[in-house]
Amino acid sequence: MVDILNIQEQIRQFILKTSYVSADQVNNDTLIFAQGIMDSMGFISIIGFIEDNFSITTNDNELLEANFESINAIADFVFRKLNTNDNK
Amino acid sequence: MNSKISNSFSKDILKFENVEAEADRISKRLKDDILGVLKRKGAVIGISGGIDSSVTLALTVNALGSENVLGIMLPEKDSSPESKEFALKLAGKLNVKTLEEDITDALIGFGCYMRRDEAVNAIFPEYNPDRFKMKIGINQSGLNNFLPPVFSLTIIGPNGNEKSKILPIKEYLQIVAASNFKQRCRMSMLYYHAERLHFAMIGTPNKHEVEQGFFVKNGDGGADIMPIAHLYKSQVYQLAEYLDIPKEIIKRTPTSDTYSAEQTQEEFFFQMPYLEMDLIWYGLENGVPEELVGNVVGKTKEEIRHIYNNLIRKKKTTEYLRMAPITY
Repeated sequence: MVDILNIQEQIRQFILKTSYVSADQVNNDTLIFAQGIMDSMGFISIIGFIEDNFSITTNDNELLEANFESINAIADFVFRKLNTNDNK
Repeated sequence: MNSKISNSFSKDILKFENVEAEADRISKRLKDDILGVLKRKGAVIGISGGIDSSVTLALTVNALGSENVLGIMLPEKDSSPESKEFALKLAGKLNVKTLEEDITDALIGFGCYMRRDEAVNAIFPEYNPDRFKMKIGINQSGLNNFLPPVFSLTIIGPNGNEKSKILPIKEYLQIVAASNFKQRCRMSMLYYHAERLHFAMIGTPNKHEVEQGFFVKNGDGGADIMPIAHLYKSQVYQLAEYLDIPKEIIKRTPTSDTYSAEQTQEEFFFQMPYLEMDLIWYGLENGVPEELVGNVVGKTKEEIRHIYNNLIRKKKTTEYLRMAPITY
């Protein structure tokens, strides 16, 4: 099973690679959309990344700030999905 | 915050006190710019039977006289038949000559439909363009939080059943890029006729389309003059009433008329009714406090804050569309 720290790190690396910001500008609690680190293309990319990388499916009603506002929020969301069989 | 504007902010703030003066001002500018600045002797306008192109056509006729204006209808196989019917009705009323250029074959040549359908099939393998209709739309939940919007693909089968899915980035970009052939093809055809006649090409986008980026770069965003690009949508409607545009055009719901399934502009891009959007956009541009705007449009301060944020994001992320080529 993938642990949450590993999920956080994978998401962090993906965001750094696709956002062209330096590592010191993003910590795991940074509000990546509210602070303009990622835009709408970035949002779609993140959804695609977590779906491909962790074999989960994201539904319309899950596109909430609580699930996507920061690296921690996304990692928690992925972790919950991976541990909830009917959401995979 | 501009306290004078905040004090006068109401649902009527965008109403022209003298709509005739604004119509005359635009028509005079059009005449001066077409004849004096661009040195052209007439104007070509793509007409769709929608409110924006209808108002633009009427203003241009007032500027140059109907004999110096050509209205061109540019349907393709996904266009609504209503578009042509309404465009012809207005042109007849204004005594403007029209041409019809069906761009379907050109779009087939570009592979527009084939490339779009390939991306749709990657999401829904059962999609067959001969039996299904399709559209893409913006996710509504994004309006009330700080997340950017995402687009969903919807297909509608022969029995009317709908299926929707969030679009992955590759397929989203391919569908949009393929569909944009439509606007770019129209722009090419309009410039063909403009150059053949030594006319100017008049664009039809309104303020929201230009500033929120609801246009195709080098497509419907390509023109010599955009005479209503400073107008909020409700002001376009006010001008339409003054210019005596046919009622069916005024009452028609603005559509994208781009995908095979019917789709309103609100559903595709703007996410809210135009009257509400006008007031909120005005409030944002003029620093009107969120609470005051909320009181007028019936929303909470928090909702207005999210919408302000959404509009700021749209403007910022579409800056690329409005940029001239970068030169060194």
